[in-house]
Amino acid sequence: KVTSSDDGSPVIGATIIVKGTTTGTVTNVSGDYTIQVPEGANALIVKFVGMKDQEIKLGSGAKHNVVLYPDVTKLTETVVTANAIRRDKSSLGYAAPTLKNDELTKGQSSSPLNALAGKVAGVNISTSANAPGSSSRIVLRGGSSITGNNQALMVVDGIPIDNSSITGGESSLTNVDFGNRGNDLNPDDIESVTVLKGPAAAALYGSRASNGALIITTKRGKQNANKKNEVTLSSAVTFSNVAKLPDFQNQYGQGYRIDDNEYYNDPIENWSWGPAFTGTPTPWGQSINGVRQIKPYSAAKNNVRDFFELGKAANTNLALSGAGEKTTYYLSLNSLNSDGVMPGNYDKYNKYGVRFNGTAELSNKITSSVSFNYNKISARMIQGGQADGSVYDQVLQTPRDIPLDKMGDLNNPYNSFGNLQDENGVPYYGYYGVYSYNPYFTLKNFNNQNDVDRLTGAFTLEYKPLPWLDLLERVGADVYSDRRTYKQPKFSYNPIDDSPEQFYASSNPQTSVGTYGKDQYDLAEVVHDFMVTAKKDFGPDFKASLMVGNNIRQRRLNTTELKTNDNGLVIPGWYSFDNSDGPIIQNDRLSRRRLVGVYSELNLSYKNILYVGATARNDWSSTLPKQNNSFFYPSVNGSFVFSELFKDSQLGRILSYGKLRSSWAKVGNDADPYLLQTYYERTIINGGFGSTTFPFNSINGYTLSNLIGNANLQPEITTAFEVGTELNFLDNRLSIDFSYYINKSKNQIINVPLAPSTGSTQKTLNTGVVENKGVEVGVRGTPIRTASGFSLELFGTFTRNVNEVVDLDIANQIVIGGYSGMSIVAAKGLPYGTFYATDLRRDDQGRVIVNPRTGIPLNSTQAIYLGSYNPKYQASWGVNAGYKGFNFSMLFDTKQGGKFFSRTKTITDFVGTSAYSASMDRNGDIYPNSVVDDGTGKFVPNTSVKYVAQDYVPYQPAGQQVLDASYIRLREASLTYRIPRSVLNRTPFGDLTLGLFGNNLALWAKNQYADPEVNSGGAGNEQGFDYTAQPSLRNFGFNVRVTF
Amino acid sequence: CSKYLDINDDPTKVDDLDPAYLLPSAQAATAMVVGGSFQITGGIWAQYWTQGVSNSQYTTTDQYNVQATDFDRPWLISYAGALQDLQVIVNNANSTRLAQYAAIAELLKAYQFQVLTDAFGDVPVADAVKAFSDNVIAPKYDAQKVVYDSIFAMIDRGLENIDPASTAGPGEDDLIFGGDMNKWIAFGNTLKLRAYMRLSEIDPTRASNGIAALSGASFLTEDAKIDYVAAGGNNNPLYAEILGLNFTQNLVASKTATDQMNAAGDPRVSVFYKPDTDTTGITGIPQGSFRIKWTYNFSIPSSVVGASAREAASATAPVKFMSAAESYFLQAEAAARGWLPGANARNLYQAGITASFEAYDVAPGTFITNTVAAFPATEEAQIQAIITQKYFAMCGNQNFEAWTEWRRTGYPSFFVQSVSSVLGAGQWPVRFLYPNQEVTRNPSFPGAKLVTEKMWWDAN
Repeated sequence: KVTSSDDGSPVIGATIIVKGTTTGTVTNVSGDYTIQVPEGANALIVKFVGMKDQEIKLGSGAKHNVVLYPDVTKLTETVVTANAIRRDKSSLGYAAPTLKNDELTKGQSSSPLNALAGKVAGVNISTSANAPGSSSRIVLRGGSSITGNNQALMVVDGIPIDNSSITGGESSLTNVDFGNRGNDLNPDDIESVTVLKGPAAAALYGSRASNGALIITTKRGKQNANKKNEVTLSSAVTFSNVAKLPDFQNQYGQGYRIDDNEYYNDPIENWSWGPAFTGTPTPWGQSINGVRQIKPYSAAKNNVRDFFELGKAANTNLALSGAGEKTTYYLSLNSLNSDGVMPGNYDKYNKYGVRFNGTAELSNKITSSVSFNYNKISARMIQGGQADGSVYDQVLQTPRDIPLDKMGDLNNPYNSFGNLQDENGVPYYGYYGVYSYNPYFTLKNFNNQNDVDRLTGAFTLEYKPLPWLDLLERVGADVYSDRRTYKQPKFSYNPIDDSPEQFYASSNPQTSVGTYGKDQYDLAEVVHDFMVTAKKDFGPDFKASLMVGNNIRQRRLNTTELKTNDNGLVIPGWYSFDNSDGPIIQNDRLSRRRLVGVYSELNLSYKNILYVGATARNDWSSTLPKQNNSFFYPSVNGSFVFSELFKDSQLGRILSYGKLRSSWAKVGNDADPYLLQTYYERTIINGGFGSTTFPFNSINGYTLSNLIGNANLQPEITTAFEVGTELNFLDNRLSIDFSYYINKSKNQIINVPLAPSTGSTQKTLNTGVVENKGVEVGVRGTPIRTASGFSLELFGTFTRNVNEVVDLDIANQIVIGGYSGMSIVAAKGLPYGTFYATDLRRDDQGRVIVNPRTGIPLNSTQAIYLGSYNPKYQASWGVNAGYKGFNFSMLFDTKQGGKFFSRTKTITDFVGTSAYSASMDRNGDIYPNSVVDDGTGKFVPNTSVKYVAQDYVPYQPAGQQVLDASYIRLREASLTYRIPRSVLNRTPFGDLTLGLFGNNLALWAKNQYADPEVNSGGAGNEQGFDYTAQPSLRNFGFNVRVTF
Repeated sequence: CSKYLDINDDPTKVDDLDPAYLLPSAQAATAMVVGGSFQITGGIWAQYWTQGVSNSQYTTTDQYNVQATDFDRPWLISYAGALQDLQVIVNNANSTRLAQYAAIAELLKAYQFQVLTDAFGDVPVADAVKAFSDNVIAPKYDAQKVVYDSIFAMIDRGLENIDPASTAGPGEDDLIFGGDMNKWIAFGNTLKLRAYMRLSEIDPTRASNGIAALSGASFLTEDAKIDYVAAGGNNNPLYAEILGLNFTQNLVASKTATDQMNAAGDPRVSVFYKPDTDTTGITGIPQGSFRIKWTYNFSIPSSVVGASAREAASATAPVKFMSAAESYFLQAEAAARGWLPGANARNLYQAGITASFEAYDVAPGTFITNTVAAFPATEEAQIQAIITQKYFAMCGNQNFEAWTEWRRTGYPSFFVQSVSSVLGAGQWPVRFLYPNQEVTRNPSFPGAKLVTEKMWWDAN
């Protein structure tokens, strides 16, 4: 009997041949076969289309059952490369790993980018909150642009799509993560993703792909031997909880220390610097009608964890696909409905999508195809950072003894925020704390709404007038409208407290002026390509093809950002610009850019051994000065399949496939629009916390922009070199892929910061050199594959990228993120994304110098460099195990050696809830390994001067919040069971799969505060920046997939 | 193709406009500095105000523990805001009408540079604000003496170009004087008097000569100020900051000033300050005592100086560039020193105090007559009396200038060291720190200074 490894079902029509003869037979409908074996034969070979040939040694028994495995590593694999050109993988002179749908969707990530994490060497995915709609960043081979985009270009069915990440809120310090547009794509619609890591691979895309490209191919209808149509319904239910919270202390409660063993249990406090827990029933919070609440003075251990609820999401896909003789179609409908981990249904993300892909052969020479995708997103996102609307920031400011998780009933007077009124109807608050709002109130009343409508699509017409000639015209568009509405309530509540001690003063009001804001981003991008390809064979061994093409692209972005000024709203609860107190702040911009390119690609091959390719492209861009707006750039690549030379020898049996590859490329890049001139703007003078906004008392005022344009800009240039090899051993049971690369980016177009005494703060210049060097290794092996159908596959990746900002002509350092106390910089001689902050002062042995009187560590006199957000290396390790219909897979990944800044640490250290804040004797302790100045400038070990934790821990320099970002993560795990076809024979189902899955299931992080992947800077260059970013989620659930 | 690509001119912005539109922006920018962060730091270091208990926004200022980054914003607004726009006006004065704008611009440049140099010492002047016009991206620093030379030159250029008879010129878009060029002449003269007076200790000869040349000139008889309005975005800069900090009352009365005003029976004490709840009378807390929990309730600065967090009236407090009171006190000091021929020190002293009471509509009772009656006879005592009265007149409304005059003259003599000072005994902050952006971005930056390093003119 011959069965399939997929689900154990019989393989019908498999060919069985006696090895070394022409004698053979085929299996019947039950997969059974009988064959007469001639004398002397010792093996059978079993073949079936799409399966690997299997050789069975003939033993003594008469019955030989065979399990066939799908042939996943076929060497004649074609890969979709730049401009949707399909190429034989062997012919490529660069690494182009491809992932198929089932590899992407195993962990059921709602983000197609997060689904790539850990699966391909050289790919750095930062998953941030790992929630539906949250940002993810994808960088291939390190960041090369100092202030520009560093993410890979996303191309869907030949059309580049927008992957903007416009974060909400004023800045990353008050970030509302509305995600990045690349995550709009539904992972279930993806047939495959090819990762073109370097500029060489993506040279045909020119400037936009200098950071590499993700070539995404969506599903098509297929000619299917058994039936014409297939209906697939899949559904996943996902549950979520917070993956990592800070480690909290459970020894000390609300209040602060006044003196040795003297504490004040101040009920207004967000501080947990009070006395040690006693368990004694103690009154707390405000006194209402003479009554205060009573609770034991002990730790409410899970008050933060239990604040969050179990998140739930349902993801449903219905796909219809099929093919006629000359047509194919694929239609899919998708819905994703999520209610996140915040209590109540205030954090919602709903996405609906339709995709249609169809092809038709109109005549023998003309083929047309259309692909179309519509997405609708409606989401309400929760603000992070240090802001009135930041729920997590408020949650983290809860003393260890306050039962926050039980304070959700806002009608309870002791939780209320404005629900209490005096006899005159004046509202009060009864909540205990005065330094933050009740987060349940914030959740309910602060609203950040996002609505997106997006249409992407392409039309392709292909004409083959002659067998060797191919003309292709493709027009694609990406159009979306991204609308955000911000509502923050206006209120002013005094504390209700009537305690005789007057715990709460009238100077402890909870007040907000309210905000209304509206942002709209309308993008329309149109791309056209026309390609002519000619192929010619010069004899049986030499083949050549030449392609020339033309590309035109236009991008138009309309931005309208409106919000009330610092004075907010007039009337509470009315969200309209009619209700703005004074002039509204508005930013109304139209940005247009156009690019015309011509390109050519030449490919030559000799037998199946030697391949050479070359590309050339010239671009004309609207964003550069006329005299510099034309730029040319070439690339070459070659591959040598050396295993072809000995494929029939003994060595060929061990090394079944061997290839060496190399490539070199140069890519030009244009500027952003409107950088050539200096413009005037309406005047807004921002004084820090307050501003003066024109018109001023009905007088108009304008001001010269602080950004000085440059009429002599030149294109940026990136050059890249790569060598690599692919080696497959033992009939492909073990494969290794290795690459080494150097990328260098120079002449970058940067808005260089100027000293304000120049009258400006920035000028656009060509400057800066950034280099990335690295190695990538991918290994895949199948150590076990038994005749009984058990198979075990192991795989792993290793990536090391070394990044350096080699030169920066004028500035030496450019700030790419951070806040006033800590900058993330590109600094000459250091890796891109280095943290720069004041830290503890140390002697030359690295010991901390403390104040000889107070014992408190001294701060460094100036900011110092504290490492970068780039990991030293990344690695992953995975396993796939299959037995009959069962499939189990698990993927671990790790990033080691990077840093991140954590305000989650700042705030929990400040309020004294972190485990660290209780790790010392709070009444006085010697700072570990510290020294004091002995008065002569010499440092001697500090053995006696004790510091008071409360006087140091809350006020640590920013450098102490830069933490080790290393982690190991159980990125994905899944268990699926595919019900055997034989069981389904009498049902309408063609295929039925049940599964359990999870992603971000377990995290082992080196720090005690946060998942180092969370980020307040969205998917932009500001990474490793946990400015009380939303905590990341652990997701798990079950799914069902059925086809009819 | 070249036409298809010719779309790189921003359709939503202009690269050319009538420079007259820049004047109100520059005026409001300078007011943001003088009435915003300089008012706060000046208010704390002149000991009118101190950081309140249980809040913490300005603790480092009260500790004399300021950071370079604290001064990024006012420096930026001064150079890249006010001075850049004023320079564009000056560079484009190609009509009689724009010549009047340019004259005002020169005077405001002089004013802004004086504020900058009095705060920071040596600052870029000759190379300043030239990235746009001349591609100077590493401005050299000029010695404070040279800065003062430039200030006098700017005032002279401004005064020369004013044509009071000109019918074309600014109107309401001049937020300070509504286009009254005679008042700008008085502004220029008073500013020159202020600038020469600053040199009284370092170069008395030059100061006296310069002031003598002003004999007979018109000086300010009314405040040079911007009036703010209640509309959002148009509020007094200090109040705008308080509002941005969610109405937090960080600034409270300092015992240093309130004790003196109470002792003198100065009725303005309950105008510049207001009692907090449950207290009568005005009481401050000792300078820098924010770490201590006080058993009594203390006063806060009032809405007339824009600093009462929970009163909307704070929004409309004016920002004073120079006040009429200051004008009289400057003349009084010049007279006391014998540098302004024909002027009577005692009368001008009285006019200064009176102008302050009138500006705030305070009934003087017997305060003015008693104070003037006690006007001393010797020059040094007269100077002390004049500067001390100028100090009270500037309470909460010209804080930075009051602190600057203390640095020049050592008066008033009753300042105490902040109880939370990080400086050694007898050490005071006598300058602002160069801003971090200048340290890190200007290749010509000459090197940081300590907060205790004196100004060139601070020779006492």
